[in-house]
Amino acid sequence: MSDSIRDRLKATPEEPTLTSHGEHPVGDPTVSTHVSYHDDLRSDPRRAKRAEQAVAALFLLSVVGTVGFIATYVWWPFEYGEDGWEFYTPLLGIFFTLALTGIGAGAILWAKTLMVDDETIQERHLLSSSDEDKEGAVAILKEGLEDTGLPRRSLLRNSLLLGGGALAILPLPLVFSLGKFQHKESALAKTSWRKGMRLLDERGRPVKLGDVEVGGVKTVFPDIPGGRRMADSASLLIRMKPEDLHVQPDRKDWVVDGHIVYSIICTHLGCPVKLYEQQTHHLFCPCHQSTFDAADEAKVLFGPAARALPQLPITIDDEGYFVARSDYTEPVGPSYWERKPSYPDKVQ
Amino acid sequence: MTSTRSRLSGYAVVLLALALLGGLYTAVAAPKSKAEDPVNQSVEVEAGRQLYLQGCSTCHGLNAQGGAGGPSLIGTGGSAVVFQMESGRMPLARGSAQAPRKPVKYDRTQIDQIAAYVESLGGGPMLPKGKLDDGDLALGGDLFRTNCSSCHNFAGVGGALTRSKYAPSLTPADARVIYSAMQSGPENMPRFSDNQLTPDEKRAIVRYVRYVTHESKDPGGARLGHYGPVPEGLAVFLVGIAVCIVITLWIGARA
Repeated sequence: MSDSIRDRLKATPEEPTLTSHGEHPVGDPTVSTHVSYHDDLRSDPRRAKRAEQAVAALFLLSVVGTVGFIATYVWWPFEYGEDGWEFYTPLLGIFFTLALTGIGAGAILWAKTLMVDDETIQERHLLSSSDEDKEGAVAILKEGLEDTGLPRRSLLRNSLLLGGGALAILPLPLVFSLGKFQHKESALAKTSWRKGMRLLDERGRPVKLGDVEVGGVKTVFPDIPGGRRMADSASLLIRMKPEDLHVQPDRKDWVVDGHIVYSIICTHLGCPVKLYEQQTHHLFCPCHQSTFDAADEAKVLFGPAARALPQLPITIDDEGYFVARSDYTEPVGPSYWERKPSYPDKVQ
Repeated sequence: MTSTRSRLSGYAVVLLALALLGGLYTAVAAPKSKAEDPVNQSVEVEAGRQLYLQGCSTCHGLNAQGGAGGPSLIGTGGSAVVFQMESGRMPLARGSAQAPRKPVKYDRTQIDQIAAYVESLGGGPMLPKGKLDDGDLALGGDLFRTNCSSCHNFAGVGGALTRSKYAPSLTPADARVIYSAMQSGPENMPRFSDNQLTPDEKRAIVRYVRYVTHESKDPGGARLGHYGPVPEGLAVFLVGIAVCIVITLWIGARA
């Protein structure tokens, strides 16, 4: 560290001197191990020259990257099936990286090797204004207030307060047009299933008794336009032996001869629960491994899910196709803030 | 000519005409008999029975009625036999959570014979004749993603189930194994009857599985096992972040 800086530090007032030698009591906190590369370079022009060449090489590498990027973009095949098409994006990426990091690395090397790196001191001054300026500002504001006439004219002042206050509370009633006041129930509480809707498979065909064998599963959607894309309504039709299926008395008419339908949206965080094990009757969610027992109302056997999968009541219509008897009787999927703790359990 | 002779010759002409007509019809237009040559079929079944008694009856019973070692095969169908034996899972070497694929012990003829024997016991799903992998690729992809990808992964490399069970990788499976797996629903895999996925749809899925496990080219050049976000994340952390750390250290180091 240079002598001038050391002198400036020593010149601060009220410096406690506890030792007879006048040394600082806690030691000088300045990092004193800084070595200036600059001094070496001044004494060794060959090293400086080589550093300069290295930086130049990096900048030129960036040019290579740019040229390569443009060449790849113009000439490299990118249509599926052409030779080498799969390397189109990696090559673009590699050349782009070269183009950018060439400049970046060159700049860093330049700063490390060739730039001056002496330590300097930044002066810190008080930021607040002078007392005269403060007093002058206050005087201007006071004068302005006098000029409006408010301090003397009480009728003016009081009527202004009344009008301004009224204006301030004008928007308050508009709050009653928002959110919770308008929607009694969250939109998350219902899916698109309604009474009488047929269960359609992924190709839009209705499902009839006999399509699914014992041990089989089928993904089903509601029979409305765009039903295939309604993610909250996606459900799984499972068929098992009727003696394996345990149904509580309330829900005897929700199943048909060993066929049962559950929502596939995991009640934990919403992943699709479609991994069905036909021998154990387990439904498994791949995200956090919640396991549901499809033979026992999809109760949770393992994992972080808090609630069983909702069940869709189904029956057969006159032509033998599966139809829903109503919407799900509880909201599907994960918990949300407005979810009511209990829902009617009967078919509507 | 007397009247008797002319009458007799009249009958003879009619008989000759009938014989000629009948013979021509039989030779040219009569439908071929649909039934298999009964001699050949029973030879297949008998050969299958012998192979069955040798290699399968210890666990599955002398009449395939099941036993302590294995379930009954009556009604399971020849398709299940094709799947289990052509993937090497049967004969089972030892019990475990799920029968693993292992080297195949029988050749295709023998497997077909055992399949014919099991099929003769009580019916059940059987592989259709003809090509099994010439379906519509795009339809196969759509059906695969809806019905299969949740367990077998979007590229068919498999995935975990509960309690040491797993959906295996589809890469080593050929067309017969894939088709028969869908038909027979082995172990914990669901069964997809021909009413649920028609033979055309099954062929489409077989075509797609063979494509995605063997022919698809990966944009970017490296498939990283086709497992998706896990190896990709690993590549980012082990390679990308490591490079970033190295660069950071270089920037901060003394020149």
